[in-house]
Amino acid sequence: MRAQLFRYFAKELRKRKKKTALVTFAITWGTLSILLLMSFGRGLSNSFRISFKGLGDNLIMVYRGQTSKDYHGLPKGRRIMIYPRDIALLSALIPEIGLVSPESNDYFMITAAGRETNRNVCGVGPAFGVMRSMIAESGGRFINEEDERTARRVAFIGWNMAENLFPGENPVGRTIVISRVPFTVIGVMKKKLQNSSYQGFDADHAYIPHSTFSRIHTQLYIDRIHVQPKRREDNQLVERRIREILGRKYRFDPEDDYALGIWNTIEQAEEAEKGFRGVEIFLAIIGGLTLLIGAVGVTNLMYALVKERTREIGIKMALGARRRHIILQFLLETVFIFSKGMFWGAAVAYAIVRLTRLVPISYELSGIQTYLLRPIFSLDILVIFLAILGTLVFLSGIFPAVRASRLNPVEALRYE
Amino acid sequence: MIEMERISKVYRMGEVRLEALKEISLRIEAAEFISIMGPSGSGKSTLLNIIGCLDTPSGGSYFLEEKNVAGLGFDELSTVRNRKIGFVFQNFNLLPYATTYENIELPMLFNGRSGKRRRERVRELLEMVGLVEWQHHRPSELSGGQQQRVAIARALANDPSLILADEPTGNLDSKTGEEIMGLFVKLQGQGRTILMVTHDTHIASYSQRTIQLLDGRIV
Repeated sequence: MRAQLFRYFAKELRKRKKKTALVTFAITWGTLSILLLMSFGRGLSNSFRISFKGLGDNLIMVYRGQTSKDYHGLPKGRRIMIYPRDIALLSALIPEIGLVSPESNDYFMITAAGRETNRNVCGVGPAFGVMRSMIAESGGRFINEEDERTARRVAFIGWNMAENLFPGENPVGRTIVISRVPFTVIGVMKKKLQNSSYQGFDADHAYIPHSTFSRIHTQLYIDRIHVQPKRREDNQLVERRIREILGRKYRFDPEDDYALGIWNTIEQAEEAEKGFRGVEIFLAIIGGLTLLIGAVGVTNLMYALVKERTREIGIKMALGARRRHIILQFLLETVFIFSKGMFWGAAVAYAIVRLTRLVPISYELSGIQTYLLRPIFSLDILVIFLAILGTLVFLSGIFPAVRASRLNPVEALRYE
Repeated sequence: MIEMERISKVYRMGEVRLEALKEISLRIEAAEFISIMGPSGSGKSTLLNIIGCLDTPSGGSYFLEEKNVAGLGFDELSTVRNRKIGFVFQNFNLLPYATTYENIELPMLFNGRSGKRRRERVRELLEMVGLVEWQHHRPSELSGGQQQRVAIARALANDPSLILADEPTGNLDSKTGEEIMGLFVKLQGQGRTILMVTHDTHIASYSQRTIQLLDGRIV
């Protein structure tokens, strides 16, 4: 096929711009809505994933409990307490455990720089920060081994508390007074998304070494043990081993689910992950079906464009156009119209996604905007979309084009 | 130039068999100017379409310049139409969104003439039909006579030896019709064969020979 013919097709298409504007618009709109659907869908599940990890990554929490079964002659209803020494026992007997930390907490009056607030103070080990995705703002740090060993009076505080006690100032190095004992602030928690919690969100808390906590608080037991297995897959095993070991020590049935409270976030996360996948697959199916309906509509429009040009096709045939000239012209027009529509649709979708991501989101409460305002426009979405649409373009272009080329020139010339 | 032997054309519409042409034999020499006349439904247009390779006969043989075209496929017929035949229609059949220039150029795009030769040829033809100053106008901006002159120029683009005209003056007033006939006479003078369907006896008087059709037969 000669270049002059392509130039001629392009020229004809330019002249027919207005006639094809509707199809172009339809394709732009379709591309835009499907890409946005998929970007926002992916953003939604991604935000869920992030805020799910906000509480902590790969975490198993062990609480005190009360037996609900008789065991070796012991009655049910006994309280089961856990103590600091149990932590050493568990890490010694369960090699699958990676990190472990105690946590005890209570509400205390906290004062600083003339301000006063009643907040949850948690005594935790050095591993706690990593397990609970707590990262210090630059210039600060989390509690370390030395703090714990020597029971230093240091505190790591949530960003909300920092804002309440030291509005507009850097709290690191300043003093806060917890229950009449002065503490030095060593770090402020960087903002993070968190959608599950107990006793309030991490942003509002103060964290001090567990050894120090034991000195300002009278309780001997600990409230919770945080455990992180070395490998995610071991979470069920570690959970079972904890029940067995503590069951042997405190004499309760390892099968008794109420003797110890265990919150296995890994198991929960795996369930949630299935949910996220489900949402993404669902959106992809909706997108695919929409695309299919759109392609049917576009095929119709292309048929209409062919029909409208029946007489013109007859004229061209009379003047010596071959079948492939006719097919090629219509197919190229379809491809061009689609490319144009897809380009603008993708460009606008990309712009909308980028602009939406610029909107600041609140970390204070994981509101709906947290999930809606962080769409993700990823290359794989675009590639899958283009592959599917490319196929549909070819199909919706080839049929009208072939039909056009099969017209009988005599009848086409007579067409009104 | 044209040799037809027992050409027939049968249309089937469901159960009904319609014989549009019944064993027509015809011989036309080069540089003849012939009109085809007859009442409507007599098969004039069908005959013209078969001669013009737009349609294929149901039976018989057809030689165009010693070449048997009865058995050719669509694309081969396209080539024959493109090189050897020029069409002039009653309703002009110009592309509405193309200018005079572009309409005349179109047949040359289907056979790959170089850009330079196309420009030269379009200019020649514009001068011949007297539309140089109208070359950038679209058909809707031209009068009927001007549009028919564009169509004639387009028919001549690839310098065909055969011109087929289906009621070329049917949509024109008589004075414009005469002008168009003047052009046809001139084309005949250049050695081209002209076949024209008409039912206007005055227009037919420009030709040297008239073929009368009735019910698909030559009378």
